[in-house]
Amino acid sequence: MQLLTESEAPKGDKMPLLKVENLKIYFHMPRGNVKAVDGVDIEIDEGEIVGVAGESGSGKSTLALGIMRLIVPPGFIEGGNIYFEGKEILHIPEKVFNAEYRWKRIAMVFQGSMNGFTPVFKIRDQIKEVLEVHNYSGDPDQRVNELMKMVNLDPSIADRYPHELSGGQKQRAFIAMALALNPKLLLADEPTTALDVITQTHIINLLKQLKKELGLSILFITHDLALMSMLTNRIYIMYAGEIVEEATTENIVKNAKHPYTQLLMEAVADIRKDYIKGIPGLMPDLANLPPGCRFYPRCPFAMDVCKKEEPKLRVVGSNKVACWLYQG
Amino acid sequence: MTKKSYVKAVDGVSIQIHRGEILGLVGESGSGKTTLGRTTIGLQQPTSGQVIYYDSSSRSHEITPKRITKELRRKLQMVYQDPFSSIDPYMRVYDALRQPLYYAGVKDPAEAREIIYKTFDEVGLPHDLLSNFVFQLSGGQRQRVAIARALMLNPEYLVADEPVTMLDASLKGLIVEDLRRINGERGISILFITHELPVAKVIAHRIAIMYLGKIVELGPTKKVVENPLHPYTQALLQAYPKLDPSLRDQMIKVNVKELELVVPKSGCRFHPRCPFVMDRCKNEEPQLKMVEPDHYVACFLY
Repeated sequence: MQLLTESEAPKGDKMPLLKVENLKIYFHMPRGNVKAVDGVDIEIDEGEIVGVAGESGSGKSTLALGIMRLIVPPGFIEGGNIYFEGKEILHIPEKVFNAEYRWKRIAMVFQGSMNGFTPVFKIRDQIKEVLEVHNYSGDPDQRVNELMKMVNLDPSIADRYPHELSGGQKQRAFIAMALALNPKLLLADEPTTALDVITQTHIINLLKQLKKELGLSILFITHDLALMSMLTNRIYIMYAGEIVEEATTENIVKNAKHPYTQLLMEAVADIRKDYIKGIPGLMPDLANLPPGCRFYPRCPFAMDVCKKEEPKLRVVGSNKVACWLYQG
Repeated sequence: MTKKSYVKAVDGVSIQIHRGEILGLVGESGSGKTTLGRTTIGLQQPTSGQVIYYDSSSRSHEITPKRITKELRRKLQMVYQDPFSSIDPYMRVYDALRQPLYYAGVKDPAEAREIIYKTFDEVGLPHDLLSNFVFQLSGGQRQRVAIARALMLNPEYLVADEPVTMLDASLKGLIVEDLRRINGERGISILFITHELPVAKVIAHRIAIMYLGKIVELGPTKKVVENPLHPYTQALLQAYPKLDPSLRDQMIKVNVKELELVVPKSGCRFHPRCPFVMDRCKNEEPQLKMVEPDHYVACFLY
């Protein structure tokens, strides 16, 4: 009997590694609540690299911090659920989350995290501290050496101070620190933004290699769609706190449906293009959102319905799009 | 006693910027491109060498911080990278523009007003923004104010130091279009400094690639992008991500090592990272040499 119920349970669709459901993260401000993340659903399967793209202020970093449960006042979780391997993790006690999930199963590489090391301690001691705090049982020195090799750094580099490393080396060392406890999911928030383009290539190649060798799943956040297209399987496009389009990388690049996605692609500085277009207008004030679609003030195809009613994310062909052009 | 040591931020660079031209100066951070830009408008005293500016009547002026006059300063202007720190956020936009005009010698309020309105139109900003405080503006609006401020006194040469780097993807294209249009309308020469070769490609007539204080390649944009000669330029072109997932394997093939902290003591500065390094590269430094018409490269391969 038990066997039957267990085999019945998945019903063909396998459980995603991470599932974010209707997540809302607001910030308390005198002028009202800033709705940085407003009803976001995302899923990441095991071994998948998923991208979240959008311009600054779209809420993509807040989303990642929300998954890590690192939102601090005036920010707060307004609602939603996060499931990791099927278990709810957003509403469990902080103590449990910190002991079992944060850095252990879900780790994060922050934007500009190469400057995240304390300048006064050696890299080795900083990574060992992470191991210690999380009660690592093995030999910490050996683990540090292992980690350094994993990110293609010579273990002797761990015995240097952060200022003795180049930008690329620091970023690798930080990725090593993120991998310290063997997480299953890595949240990478603009991990290459401050690096030169050749170093960026090496870091991207490293992430791909880690995915392959460790079976790591990665949530990759950037505003650079071209960079994103180089390593993700699937892409979510975020605008003003909401997901406006979701599709495979292939479909986003070749068959983008949402006008914002289309404009964002025109704005990419691709070396093969002879132009870069801008997107006129500004993102709406997230504390004072217009009724209707959040993109309509900047949208070249805005219709009457867009001003009144907010479109929902719906399946359109092989993409999911929140746009009235494809609904109603 | 420790011996004095020097950082050679810009080391033996010779470059000409033609009238009405946009020259794209491309290099990674620390390559000396900003130092070179600042030196060309007399904000930095060169250790040796000269900067010569030819005015519209072809008279030559040597530009150094000491010798620059108010008259020359009006002709040579700069737009800085970060519009959030280059303009005082607590000034009204009008005052942020009025003040430099005043110090440059435009004391008459009516004349100043006329100049400010005219330049504001030129960069495509609505006049009602003039009464706002600078902190109320968006990043793109601020950068346009910074550009307006540099253009007010009709300069002949403008150094634009990474003017789109701090801006969002959605704004980059707009500012690039502005600068290109202004260059066309005014015939102003622009030194466009950037670390993004794709941005230089869409705006510049010629491109100079800088690496650790040296120009390693220089030529018309089309030639540099379509037929890159220097191994560093080739690696850059390969490393830029392309909006096409079917090309992702190209990235794995970038065969240039990451930047090291140590600058080599002898030979070509790129030799520790170069996939084509020869013995000669370790001892001798290659000079910039013309390989095809107008296309220069500093590499022993040629």
